[in-house]
Amino acid sequence: MTTFSLDDSSVFVIIGSGAGGGVLSRELASRGHKVVCLEAGPRLTLGDVVNDETEMFNKLTWLDRRMATGKPDPNFPVWGCKTVGGTTMHWTGACPRFEPHEMRALSTYGEMPDATLVDWPVTPEEMADWYDKAETRMGVTGTQGYPHLPPGNNYKVLEAGARKCGYTDMDTHNMAINSIDRDGRPHCRQLGFCTSGCAVGAKWSTLYTEIPAAEETGNFELRPGCMVTGLEVGEDGRIASVTYLSDGKSYTQKARAVSVAGNVVETTRLLLNNRSQRHPDGLANSSGLVGRNYMRHFTIQVMGVMPGKVHFYRQTHLAGVVRDERAHRPERGFAGGFLISTVPFTPEVLAKNMLTGGWGRDLTQVLDKYEYLAGMLLTGEDPPQLDNRITLHPEARDGYGLPVPVIHYEDHPNTIAMKDYAWKAGRRIYEAMGAEQVIEMGDYIPATHNMGTARMGEDPATSVCNPFGRTHDVANLFVSDGSLFPTAGGCNPTLTIVALAMRQAQHIDGELKAGRL
Amino acid sequence: MSVSRRGLLGRMAFGALLPGLGALAVPAHGAEAVSAELATSAALLNAMFPHDALDAGFYREMAARYLDELATRPEALAAHRAGLGVLDGSYIAPFVQLPEVIQRSMVAKVDQEPFFTAFLMRGAELVYRDQRAWDLLGYEGSSVEYGGYLDRGFDDIDWLPAAGGTQ
Repeated sequence: MTTFSLDDSSVFVIIGSGAGGGVLSRELASRGHKVVCLEAGPRLTLGDVVNDETEMFNKLTWLDRRMATGKPDPNFPVWGCKTVGGTTMHWTGACPRFEPHEMRALSTYGEMPDATLVDWPVTPEEMADWYDKAETRMGVTGTQGYPHLPPGNNYKVLEAGARKCGYTDMDTHNMAINSIDRDGRPHCRQLGFCTSGCAVGAKWSTLYTEIPAAEETGNFELRPGCMVTGLEVGEDGRIASVTYLSDGKSYTQKARAVSVAGNVVETTRLLLNNRSQRHPDGLANSSGLVGRNYMRHFTIQVMGVMPGKVHFYRQTHLAGVVRDERAHRPERGFAGGFLISTVPFTPEVLAKNMLTGGWGRDLTQVLDKYEYLAGMLLTGEDPPQLDNRITLHPEARDGYGLPVPVIHYEDHPNTIAMKDYAWKAGRRIYEAMGAEQVIEMGDYIPATHNMGTARMGEDPATSVCNPFGRTHDVANLFVSDGSLFPTAGGCNPTLTIVALAMRQAQHIDGELKAGRL
Repeated sequence: MSVSRRGLLGRMAFGALLPGLGALAVPAHGAEAVSAELATSAALLNAMFPHDALDAGFYREMAARYLDELATRPEALAAHRAGLGVLDGSYIAPFVQLPEVIQRSMVAKVDQEPFFTAFLMRGAELVYRDQRAWDLLGYEGSSVEYGGYLDRGFDDIDWLPAAGGTQ
């Protein structure tokens, strides 16, 4: 096992081991660069992954204290993971690409009141090549020659209903879940429990793909259980070292360069909490935009009590998709679009989700039809708003002694209009299949889709990072997670995070080899 | 003091009329008081999550677990007891003896109270994490030990109209 000394100032330090940090680690290590990856959470093995949502929620989730203002539930305002693999342990594996019109949001949608829409500084044409590479790496089904996963019950209901409603663009989706044995991992056994970590390792997760591959290079050291508390700026204005807590002790690792990939909330906290004379408002925050433009996709649900049994839990969570509403068609009354996917619930989670709508027979008459339920998840674009932001509480501290992040979020009117339309669209699908009852559920539980708080762009006055995720203000500091997204698109973010990390790695490799970093 | 005075009066007034009520209509201390507390908690849990196929013993067992959890949290226990006192204070009969429709209307009056929402959320976990509830609802749970559902019905739906291809 490779280890590096704390005094080794030649190492590239990556903070976070999920989709961004895990991929960047492997890419840099495989190009011969020395990498230390600091991960706040523990390193699980496949043996630690069980088919129990409650147990895995507690094992995977970032449960340190967070606060909220505005819409989010103060008890659980944001979802992230604290484990090696980060949110790639929890994700469903869905890998849609951003649509070109979504990467040109400002040009396509036009100016939107109270939103900070921009076009991406990376063109869709350039991204297409990186999407190809990311899909190949992850074995995304329905792309690059990888077969689709087989259709299961919940998807078959969605598909049949969608066709009756005139939709045509649907299949079992592009999933980073093995449909064939590959990459030393088995094909999907349709366990269900995708969001609880995949117990057989069919779902792509950096815990058992990128991290071991990085270790095999001999250029990589993973340090789990290491919570970064400080980024120290040297006389030359560059990050000189990274300080972290491990088992209650503080360590300082010297660094040649640093990348932060903490799934937005931790990335924001780390930047904002490292103030100095040179960076009075936090690192890389001369624009004042660190923590602002926080975006999250809405994730609303529709369930149907169907005329026959569905057993919607007997398959991958996200078992198929309808894409027809993804397009930008302003005649619907909103800009951008949304995806319609399948989703199942365990009885416990279903009951808890439905409790906001009532208790008693209203609830149990649905639960009594559990075997007959079909479920769909509707996920749509969220416009960036300057005031949706993550800040640090002035007094409250968490167990590490760090200021507690405060999540402020409100739905944009465009989002409210899209949700209203999406609920109706979902209801129509199940009604077309003869549903006895249709239940609409709101986005009480946040998705792990966190984006936008260190947006990339060309202009240092209006963005935090350059188009390669390098902060404008600090030459050797990068951001490698969804924080970079200038807009949120109408789809799951992970594939784009991976594609951007691979692209960033090539850039960093060039800069390192040219002696510019 | 685990039962409100109003609740006690209600019980005592009806104790002579309703068979089986005598055991509840005793001063609120000792084992009998705990059992009244448990009986009301179980009835409340049943009102929250009524499944005809789950018997009273099931709800009592789950309510007992909840009360055990509250035992280490004096403030929450006090709030829970105060809430039960309201439910038992109908002047008609203790909550457990009321018809479902009356229980519903009484619960509706307290369903925004913190003691209720706490019990509701934890109650959902206790009830729907139990194998007996899973068996009732038809949820099969952990599948990895059986090799998943790939060969056990993930695509066995048989009531859909013939589809024109899915891929």
